[in-house]
Amino acid sequence: MTSAESTLSQPASTTAPNVVRLPLGLLGFEQIKEYALLADPAEKPFAWLRVTNDKSLAFVVIDPFVVMPEYKPNIPPADAEFLGIKEASDALLLGIVTIHKDHHATMNLKGPVVINRHSHIGKQVIIANAAEYSVEHLLPIAEAVA
Amino acid sequence: MLILSRKVGESIVIDGRIQVKIMRLDGEVVKIGIEAPASVPVHRQEVYEEIQRNNQKAVMKEGSPLPKLAGPPKKPS
Repeated sequence: MTSAESTLSQPASTTAPNVVRLPLGLLGFEQIKEYALLADPAEKPFAWLRVTNDKSLAFVVIDPFVVMPEYKPNIPPADAEFLGIKEASDALLLGIVTIHKDHHATMNLKGPVVINRHSHIGKQVIIANAAEYSVEHLLPIAEAVA
Repeated sequence: MLILSRKVGESIVIDGRIQVKIMRLDGEVVKIGIEAPASVPVHRQEVYEEIQRNNQKAVMKEGSPLPKLAGPPKKPS
């Protein structure tokens, strides 16, 4: 179980609820509103956010704090309200990962997907302090993809 | 698109609660002051477009091989 999945299911249940609803979609993918959050232990700490009805359309995601514990995203109050998030512990954050052609990998820290851990409603939020972070924050890669 | 002419120091009001004020002209640069309730997110358009482009680039087919991260990943607290 990846950190993403285990944190999603904490503390209430042992069944990992893995369907995430994004009522506004992702930026550029506004029409797609339902994703499955899938985690394979072998791929830890990466997980997949896959369109529920289209296996060919997926995003690799990562808990940004795993790579960058000092990340301090400032979630705009309107977004927190939209998601029903009252405190930080209500939120699961996922950074969208890009695997580049030359095999380096980056994560988007300006626009994390913020998910309410209880309702599993999410939104790609442009953080208020987006100017402090990159959409292509380099991930430390030990072993490139084959 | 509604187009209005404004002088420096003049404002427009949107929806009775959002004030957009022309602060200063500096060559081709216009400084704009925006006063809006905290519930109204205000961002430069570029950041939307940058994230949109990033999302498009990040699309993958599920099951594509993933790299391994360097170092033992720390557990989020």
